[in-house]
Amino acid sequence: MPKHYRPAGKKKEGNAAKYITRSQALKQLQVNTKLFRKLCIYKGVFPREPKKKFKGNHQTYYHLKDVSFIRHDPILEDLRAKSAYRKKIIKAKAKRNKELADILKNRQPEIKLDRLVQERYPHFIDALRDLDDPLTLVHLFAALPASDRLKIEVKRVHNCRKLSHEWQAYISRTHKLRKVFISVKGVYYQAEVEGQKITWLTPHGMQQVLPDDDVVYDVLLSFLEFYETLLAFVNFKLYHSINVKYPPILDPQLEASAAELYALARYFDANSRPSEKVEATQEEESDLRLAQLQHQLPSNEPGALMQLVKDAADENEEDEDTKECKNLFKNMRFFLSREVPRESMLFVIPAFGGTVSWEGEGAPFSETDQSITHQIVDRPTQGHVYLSREYVQPQWVYDCVNTRIILPTDAYMVGRVPPPHLSPFVDNEEEGYVPDYAETIKRLKSAAKNEILPMPGMGKEDLDDPQNLLAEGYISRAEAIEAAERKQKMMTLEKQYHDELKMELDGFKYSSSVSDATKQKSGEDMETGEEPLPDVQQISTEDMSKLLMSRKKRGLYEAMKKGQERKKAHVDLLKQRKKKIEAAEKFKKN
Amino acid sequence: MGKIAKGSRKGKKAWRANISTEDIEDFFEQSNKDALSGGSLSQLPNDSLFYVDNSKDLSVKRKIEKHREKVLRCDSVLQKNPFVQALPSAKPKQKKKSKKENKDVVKEKDETRDGQKNDGASASGMVDIWANEGEGDNPKKVPKPSVIPAVEVEASGCSYNPTFESHQESLAQAVAEEMQKVYRKELGPEPVPITVPGEVINDEDVTRVELNKRERHKELHRKEAEAKKREELSKQIDSLPNIIEEITKEDEEKQKRHIRRVVAMQERLKVRPPRLGKHKHTNWQFCFRFEPAPTQVLLSEEITGSLRKLKGCCTLVKDRFKSLEKRGLIVPVKGKRLDELSTLLLLFLSLVVAILLIRVTVDYLKQRL
Repeated sequence: MPKHYRPAGKKKEGNAAKYITRSQALKQLQVNTKLFRKLCIYKGVFPREPKKKFKGNHQTYYHLKDVSFIRHDPILEDLRAKSAYRKKIIKAKAKRNKELADILKNRQPEIKLDRLVQERYPHFIDALRDLDDPLTLVHLFAALPASDRLKIEVKRVHNCRKLSHEWQAYISRTHKLRKVFISVKGVYYQAEVEGQKITWLTPHGMQQVLPDDDVVYDVLLSFLEFYETLLAFVNFKLYHSINVKYPPILDPQLEASAAELYALARYFDANSRPSEKVEATQEEESDLRLAQLQHQLPSNEPGALMQLVKDAADENEEDEDTKECKNLFKNMRFFLSREVPRESMLFVIPAFGGTVSWEGEGAPFSETDQSITHQIVDRPTQGHVYLSREYVQPQWVYDCVNTRIILPTDAYMVGRVPPPHLSPFVDNEEEGYVPDYAETIKRLKSAAKNEILPMPGMGKEDLDDPQNLLAEGYISRAEAIEAAERKQKMMTLEKQYHDELKMELDGFKYSSSVSDATKQKSGEDMETGEEPLPDVQQISTEDMSKLLMSRKKRGLYEAMKKGQERKKAHVDLLKQRKKKIEAAEKFKKN
Repeated sequence: MGKIAKGSRKGKKAWRANISTEDIEDFFEQSNKDALSGGSLSQLPNDSLFYVDNSKDLSVKRKIEKHREKVLRCDSVLQKNPFVQALPSAKPKQKKKSKKENKDVVKEKDETRDGQKNDGASASGMVDIWANEGEGDNPKKVPKPSVIPAVEVEASGCSYNPTFESHQESLAQAVAEEMQKVYRKELGPEPVPITVPGEVINDEDVTRVELNKRERHKELHRKEAEAKKREELSKQIDSLPNIIEEITKEDEEKQKRHIRRVVAMQERLKVRPPRLGKHKHTNWQFCFRFEPAPTQVLLSEEITGSLRKLKGCCTLVKDRFKSLEKRGLIVPVKGKRLDELSTLLLLFLSLVVAILLIRVTVDYLKQRL
């Protein structure tokens, strides 16, 4: 059999024209695998899955256009120059010329990824949409130890810390935090910026393991480089939007005592100036500035300045959510004990309008301050107890934040096991199953809002059901009877319509006798003078759409339905389990 | 003029021909000339011959960079003549800066920036890159690599203080994952055995008779098969409507199967990455599937309700890496870790070497003492 050759001059068709394998790409770009990986990460190129893998299942395929995209980018030249420069260093070292090697190392050319960020995210909102992964990675590296072997530099880690604190300070100051969830992995936060919901994960304050074999660190570090640049630009834009200079210059004393968030908050206060300056306070403002520049904390903030700043903040347009969050911990002063996760608290509490202090240098107020309303402790027992304040566990703060009301603190007192920490990311109504504590919270919420609620144990039953309302004594017996009658009529009418429509669908002739009969029936029922039948053309939407669907769509629709049924079965199973547990408990009691 | 071919090679006259005295003669000539012209150049002091030119010098262009002005000859001729002026509307095209000029400018900029020694994010150089928005390009849609979100929030049961039911659920899931691994290992395919019991076939004892017999058998079989085929064909032509029915049924089946496969593929993409290369995931070790990071859930006895005593997860780096892999942004790489067999071998060899060394040292010491 002769070999199949393509006639000369004819172009490739189909999948072969659109995709190329990684080895082909490397040959086109004249680059090695490591560099290619880096480029893909910087440019946002990812491998595809063509319908037909024409070179085999063991090859990685990329879009031809993506590869040409990389080829025409100036960063390719920059990276090549960088590797050529590295060869110089190696050469100098090999020739035992240490001075030259050191000089060369210090003058290494840096590659700026600014243009790439702008290319990939032409609009700010695009950057916000994709901000989850960068935030999580930056927060993770901020908590990692530097390692020479894995090429994690100290400078990088510090930069990540700085960026993460700046972001947290912004979210805190503009009250954009919405949800917090503490899991085993770490703390999940969700904030809402310009309509985008951004979720990220922060590790707990413990030493992270750097696994040797499962992770390729070069890849992670390339991602980190790109994400650092992106986050820096996002921070810049956000800070400018609230008229604060970026990058912020912080008080080194506070930085040293690991209270960067507090330092940033002070920076905000000092720097977010309103457009009109009152002359009387100018002197004080400049004093404040001077004091900061001389690395000294101003002990008392002039009251006028604080007022000005508050006014400025109020001028900004805030939506309802932000206002609600801002006033949650209003007028509450918190004090953190030593064993409480400080950074997380310093982030969350000011984000909801509270003031917070801790033990240590540079803190705004000490433990003995009389105005403290809550003290956060996590010990089994508390020695000396001030009567003017409440002692709570840290979970209280998080639960309040998630439910947006001030929960009663007795369940969270020192020494007790607090109630379960529910996840705000789970929509209980959707799942169909609501845990007990959530019910309690709901009741408290509505109590705060003065609504009528059915008694616990009723779940989501129909409030319209007159029997229920009667049972609760909300309405009188006569009203109940009337309501029941009305309900029955509605049900019979509904049934009627359904029957008629069915007949239509089945193609029966709508003979006059039949219509008369139905009219009579409906006449009897409509004594109370309700509206007559609606349009006969209003066929039940479900049946209609079923008819009109193509075979394909029907299959998908049925698959969807199966999924829903499965969910239902799951919820029923949970309810059964709960019943069994309760029954078992009762049995134990008896 | 060389020596005449084979004369005598002995004697002074013969070897004088091979000595050149050019340099001595040159020297004499030169010194003569110097004496006549007033002193040799090498004996003069440097200052009288050279001077340092501190006037503004033109930059030394390398040969490669020297090139003529990129102007058409006709234009250059017109430019030289002051009486011929261009019409105000007819301006010559702004020639694009040549690549090399661009490079020079860029190099200068880089140098000044490096010279500043900026620490961390370039404090002075930060610009709002989204400053001029509202420009076109709005509908450009960037394809997302995967439907899986970048940060997946865990279920309620993974909370540090979960409700009983949700905790049981998450525990069940973690247990199921572990059991799947165990079962897959146990119920995996058996290794191929080295020896298979059976009879040994001797090929040499086959005779011509046998071979002929086999051929005749083969022919018979072939003829029968052909006859059967022809019969089948005639039968099929008779039962055409049945066949059409069958075909329609098959088509329906195929449609359903197609839908099922499409849905199954979408479901799969929500959980694991597509197959992007030789390996299914980085660093496999007798595990040939992609496994996402395990569900991090506390054991029942570890739920203390206290944040301080929480035994948190310390493998977040691995988790992030796996998440990137799961979304298909990273192509899995070959495993670096040694598999069990080779580690055992390595250990064994090192043991042997150690024993030998000990023996040698013991003998040596015995000898000494």
